[in-house]
Amino acid sequence: MHETIQAIILGLLTGGVYALMASGQTLIFGVLKVVNLAQGALVILAAYLSSSLFVSFGIDPFLTVPIVAPALFLLGAAVQWCLLRPLHRSDASQLSLLVTFAVALGIEGVLTLVYKSDYRTIQPSYANRSWTVAGYRIGEVRLAACLLSLAVLGALALLLGRTRFGRAVRATVQNPTAARLLGVEGDRVAALGYGLGAATAAAAGAVYGMVYSFNPNSHYDLISRLLSIVVLGGLGSLGGTVVAALAMGVVSALVGALISPVWSDFSFFVVLLAVLLVRPQGLFGARLRGAL
Amino acid sequence: MSNRSRGRDTGRGTGRGTAGGTARGAGRTRVRAAAAALAAAGLALAGCSSSAAKPSASSGARPALTIGISLSLTGDFSDSGKSAQRGYQLWASTVNAAGGVLGRKVVLDIVDDTSSPTQVVTNYQNLITKNHVDLVFGPFSSLLTVPASQVAKRYGYAFLEPAGGGPAVFSQHLHNLFFVQPAPVVQQGDVFADYILSLPASQRPTTAAYPALDDPFASPIAAEVRTRLQAAGIRTVYQQIYPAEATDLSSVVTAMAAKKPDLVVAGTQSADAYALVKAMVQLKWAPKLLYLSNGANDPLNFPGNVGAGNVNGIFSSGDWFPTATTSGNSAFVAAYTAAYGGAATSIDSTSAEAYSCGQLVQEVAAKTGKVDNATLISTLHSGSWPTLEGDLSWNSDGAANASYVLVQWIGGKLLPVFPADRAQSAPVLGKLPWSG
Amino acid sequence: MRTAAPVAGFVALLAAFPFLVTAPWLMTIALFTLMYAVLASAWNLVGGYAGYPSLGHAAFFGLGAYAEAIWFQHHGIGSGLAPFAVLPLVGLAVAAAGLPVAWIAMRTRSDVFAIVTITLLFVAQTLAYNLRGITHGAQGMAMPVPDFAPATFERPFYYAMLALLVFALLLSWAVLRSRLGLALLAVRADEDKARGVGVPVGTAKLGAFALSVGITGMAGGVWAYYLSFIYPQFAVDPLVTIAMVLMVFLGGRGTLWGPVLGAFVIAPAQQYLAYQYGASQLYLLGYAALFVLVMLVLPRGVLPTLADRWRRRRLRADVGPEVAVEQP
Repeated sequence: MHETIQAIILGLLTGGVYALMASGQTLIFGVLKVVNLAQGALVILAAYLSSSLFVSFGIDPFLTVPIVAPALFLLGAAVQWCLLRPLHRSDASQLSLLVTFAVALGIEGVLTLVYKSDYRTIQPSYANRSWTVAGYRIGEVRLAACLLSLAVLGALALLLGRTRFGRAVRATVQNPTAARLLGVEGDRVAALGYGLGAATAAAAGAVYGMVYSFNPNSHYDLISRLLSIVVLGGLGSLGGTVVAALAMGVVSALVGALISPVWSDFSFFVVLLAVLLVRPQGLFGARLRGAL
Repeated sequence: MSNRSRGRDTGRGTGRGTAGGTARGAGRTRVRAAAAALAAAGLALAGCSSSAAKPSASSGARPALTIGISLSLTGDFSDSGKSAQRGYQLWASTVNAAGGVLGRKVVLDIVDDTSSPTQVVTNYQNLITKNHVDLVFGPFSSLLTVPASQVAKRYGYAFLEPAGGGPAVFSQHLHNLFFVQPAPVVQQGDVFADYILSLPASQRPTTAAYPALDDPFASPIAAEVRTRLQAAGIRTVYQQIYPAEATDLSSVVTAMAAKKPDLVVAGTQSADAYALVKAMVQLKWAPKLLYLSNGANDPLNFPGNVGAGNVNGIFSSGDWFPTATTSGNSAFVAAYTAAYGGAATSIDSTSAEAYSCGQLVQEVAAKTGKVDNATLISTLHSGSWPTLEGDLSWNSDGAANASYVLVQWIGGKLLPVFPADRAQSAPVLGKLPWSG
Repeated sequence: MRTAAPVAGFVALLAAFPFLVTAPWLMTIALFTLMYAVLASAWNLVGGYAGYPSLGHAAFFGLGAYAEAIWFQHHGIGSGLAPFAVLPLVGLAVAAAGLPVAWIAMRTRSDVFAIVTITLLFVAQTLAYNLRGITHGAQGMAMPVPDFAPATFERPFYYAMLALLVFALLLSWAVLRSRLGLALLAVRADEDKARGVGVPVGTAKLGAFALSVGITGMAGGVWAYYLSFIYPQFAVDPLVTIAMVLMVFLGGRGTLWGPVLGAFVIAPAQQYLAYQYGASQLYLLGYAALFVLVMLVLPRGVLPTLADRWRRRRLRADVGPEVAVEQP
């Protein structure tokens, strides 16, 4: 029993980190209808930038987020503007899939050139500290990461719900043509959306780098999980993404603790396939994908 | 470190394995393999010189001795591939400075396999049938060793290989293959079992746990140690295989801690070794004794990834260390630091393994006056040959008959501690730093 | 059939190649090139004609490789040419395994389909690792090493791949001219509308998927035998999928010869240039650049673009420049 509850706690904390990473993915899909295969690479890029700032200037990894996020925002907006915007055609969704994959490779290539391929971890003094609550261990960094995720997700929800930009995004998501008629500039909204999605990777990267070891090609593992999460959540649904991420964290941790770690990711993929069998649109996906 | 860098080895292809250390390199890497090629294709980046010294003609009366080698120079394990490259090049420049092998200048033809088995076959085909190299050395990463060794065998080439020590390599029963490390990888943990069994009964642990990475170069090590310790009456209370993509080993450590083992013997590569220690530190649980087969034997990267304060007391084993008294080692260390800078402790054992292949060629040439493949194969199969890795002799399948050295982190340094004749410090039996 | 002669010539040239060029290293490159031509043509059936971009075909490549290896584990070590004889069985088995998978995956539409098929890749690889009793897990599986003469060692594998390529092309050609082909093109154009007017959408998609993965699996079988040893991470390798996709996109999706052209350009370049200039860390960047370039400049692939240009030129010659300008 103790083991089960410890696994659930761990799964929720891990799920929180994944929710943060996947929220950017979901936002990008919602706005652009692009499956962003570069999201994992953006997270790893952020982890490296954060690590460099920490090692060279002693900036606390959590405080690197406000520095790294704008940089990734610009990068993301540039990717959309220069590489994805020109694609718009009937089969843009297939082509963009491959272009974002190329972006992921490009980022990986640059990271390999600059940082080499050895593993590294961001090691602030508190990286390995943990609290004991009622006999259960809770890693400080993991809890902080989970809180940061909640904060970023809350900010995203506010941004989409309360601002002019958010209204423009939602209008674009629901009906691009009507939105354009109403004066929403689709390309600009798309660039902002991709930029914003990339910026969330900054927060995710700092956290990821403290909790796990990473190297330039860690993004392949990330992307497989992120994709499963966003599909399970219903592509484009922010709330669905959070639920799916937490579900993935808990299912994997439970299977890992109670059955065997070799089946933990597998079990999640099976859940995903089973859900798709019943609901091809995912848990929370509307058939028309009306709301973000 | 014997395998730490076997690059691709561990790499699990597809999206698996984040943490899995070396483990994950593979799949990923192949993507780059394709990438690589295409890239080159697309850009015709001729500029990116292959780092290989291409066989240049010239060089006096006697023809050069060309040696073809395929290494994983791009991709996940490129750092370790480069370590191998340094070892080979250091040997070549050393031997050339002394007049070459039998008066023939050594020229290395090093190509990149981008960690793909398809590419490694193409590379050895090219080296042997297109470039007509005189000799070949094995590829850097061990999963590629099997297909590469088949090509070498087909053309009757001796196959000195520093990286492929898994069971699959030896079960091919290739007479032309020589694994240039002290013993098959499976036996890497034997030295730790020897040490435990050498302890007086009062100090011996009574229970043990065996977590291991699902990898041909990790889990067999733990299994081998378990067999021996179990036979000696040390009870197994926990064993678990975890996959390379398990970034987070907290659940493994939680389950293991619940069984309260005295001893943990982990079959690890690199990232998973870090993850295991991190999880233990975070959960504030430590066994009395901790052995990690790889990862902890990497003085460059281990402290940075687990925290320098957490290393003391951890055991590992290795094939080579800078202060070894093996044949030619001090000269090797001096030459290495002179050529590449840095401290002796920053030398990767991979460089020493690669250098040792060269030593063997030199020794055979000195003894027989010949450097052809048939002579190499038949000569190496008899007698014992001194290298940086120790004195090696091989069985008919290419497995060497020496043993690894037990190392331990003591006072922030990685020191050989067992067996006594190779130890530079006595093993320290104390609490692990985070055990509170 | 005015195309029959050049096609026959092309196949005859490929058949004669091992006798014209005997250097083993060239044969190795040719062998892998044919393999990729087979894979790209197979992928094209689903990704090109039906417009469902599968990113999981490597799972079936691996399945074929393992089926071949497991067969020989259990039926004694046949060597020599025997392993080629079971290929049709391997193909049927892989195609059968593909049916239920396709049934689930193809309920989703193209972007979700891509993601689901990626997932499939991981499921297949995990199974290869974890079903140790069957696959030997991470330790890998050995195949018998054939005792072909070193000088002509590659020949049997080369002809096996060539046979698969001819088979894949004939199949593609037949599909294009059949009701199945029409149904697939209708699916690609507008699946809902196609279903509405009574096109057997489900059957067409399942049929195309099964054919496609069956061929992919047979190529995996030959590959496994040639390498003589398979590990999960090499057998189920995302690179294989990525390469297939890029080749099809470069040559031209939904065309008969586009995938072959793509493979003939990319595969040898890859093999040779990685060998020749492999040590450069700029590879990944170059690859990414090539990828983006193809997508931006030649989004439909070389063959359709050339065909278009040729048609436009003829149009211009026939009707005059004004009309041609209006061509998109």
